[in-house]
Amino acid sequence: MQSNIGPTNQQGQSQKLMVFVLSMALFGLGDLVTELVPDIGIGSIEFGVPYFGFIGLILVMLFNPLYAALGAAVGEVVFGDLLMGDFGGLGEIEGVLTLFIGLYIAGLLVKNLNSKFSIAIAGMVGIAVEQVLGGLADCIKVWVGVEDLEAIQGLPESIVILELVECSMEWVIAGVIVGIIPSIILIPKLHGKIEPLLGVKPRQGAYSQVAAGYLLVVSIAVFVGATLFGVIGEAIEIGAWEPDFIDQFGGWFVWVGMAIAAVVLIITLLLRPKSKQDFEHPKAG
Amino acid sequence: MNYIEKLLTNVSIDSLKLTLLRTAYVKKGSFLAQFDPRIVILWYSIFAILPWFVHNTTVLLLFFFTMVIIASLSRISGFILVMLSFTTFCNLISIIVLTFFLGGDIEAFLAILTLTLKLVTVALASVAVFASLDPEKFSDALLSFGLPGQVSFGVSYGYRMIPILIEEYHQIINSYRLRGRIPKKKGFLRWRQLFYMGKIAVLAFYPMILNTAKRTRTTVEALEVKGFTYALNHPEAKKLKLSYLKVRTKDIVLLASTCLFLSISFYIGSIYPL
Repeated sequence: MQSNIGPTNQQGQSQKLMVFVLSMALFGLGDLVTELVPDIGIGSIEFGVPYFGFIGLILVMLFNPLYAALGAAVGEVVFGDLLMGDFGGLGEIEGVLTLFIGLYIAGLLVKNLNSKFSIAIAGMVGIAVEQVLGGLADCIKVWVGVEDLEAIQGLPESIVILELVECSMEWVIAGVIVGIIPSIILIPKLHGKIEPLLGVKPRQGAYSQVAAGYLLVVSIAVFVGATLFGVIGEAIEIGAWEPDFIDQFGGWFVWVGMAIAAVVLIITLLLRPKSKQDFEHPKAG
Repeated sequence: MNYIEKLLTNVSIDSLKLTLLRTAYVKKGSFLAQFDPRIVILWYSIFAILPWFVHNTTVLLLFFFTMVIIASLSRISGFILVMLSFTTFCNLISIIVLTFFLGGDIEAFLAILTLTLKLVTVALASVAVFASLDPEKFSDALLSFGLPGQVSFGVSYGYRMIPILIEEYHQIINSYRLRGRIPKKKGFLRWRQLFYMGKIAVLAFYPMILNTAKRTRTTVEALEVKGFTYALNHPEAKKLKLSYLKVRTKDIVLLASTCLFLSISFYIGSIYPL
């Protein structure tokens, strides 16, 4: 199975490198293409294609998710930013991390490549994780950068609203329109066709459900933790006007976190019974 | 209408290729390029992290003006500067409008102004550094900081392969356009034509993915024959690759003057706080 002659189980060192390079090149190319299309900006909210989500999703679902996600994140930075002379420095690190985590989760979550439903759910969750983490990072930046953020009325709310609008826009565009819709069309076409070109066996069933759940839990924990941290921070230094602020802002934010947790719970419950079948009756490659 | 017309016809992949080649191969003799890349990254990280934790406007203003000087020494393209100032301005306006809408006052405006000052300072530092650093040198510096070799490989690979990949993508798009037919009905705001172009741009990735997979296998097998993974895991090979990076006197001068500048600006900031 590990020999270099026949198809291996996506485990060989050179296969991993191939997946990395492939993902890097393709995602970078997609990023360059999206740079060509100008964004229509209204204030800080832009209507444009941030990146071609489907390239990352397809590769992550067809191949080893770890290396495909790493490759996509590196390709985004190297091709899209560094080579175009548009590199943001430290700000890019956060982008790399969120993209990597989101795509990796998507790749681990997908169970059955023959089921459009499974692909769609995994893709949407993955891109949503990426967007939520990215938005959170932006909020943290403002929180660090502005002294006494809470003391200024209206500012925290407006930042959160702007981030929320921007993230949901990007999620709809990158995650759905150029995300899962092309993925659903292209994955069945590519499945079983592209793997022999790299000398690997087509993927069957899930990679490791445990790891996906674990990662999801970690990222949700980060999200909820950050939210709670903010809310508790509010609660401790309660001033004259602060309780009002918690009612409006904190409570609402916690509800968002809980809604996301509930959605994830439902998805995992929905997907659970299917996975056993996949393992019991693997389809012949 | 004119805008969309332009978008459909003038989005030229050739100009993209040109930009890439320019970044990759044009020799840069700017101020920061003469220093050791590792020192420049160190210098950059000071100015990328520090402003976030400074709440003294005088110090921030001093940082900002220094960055303006260094950025102008680095000969950044005017286009990048215009884009930078435009997006900053738009962000500023939209946040302020929303804040006032939610019941903020002049206090919020000042806070946002300080935040914008920080953002612009950091952005100017990034532009100055990464417009003047040769990407290959930059990736070697990252390698010497202990980042995985794949990243540095990615940069070199990008140089060599991206023009080829773009050309191939362009050909695929053109062949799709030759075989297909652009919708006759334009639709509202030409959405039919835009949709058609978008569909082609996405579908062209199907042959592209397969072709790139073949190409990748060849590349990686060639790399492995030359011992790429072996070299990644062995410190001697890395040492040999990075042997040209040397810290010289002028690098130390740069760091020392930065420290001096920092202490002076904090001193001024404590005397004349704004």
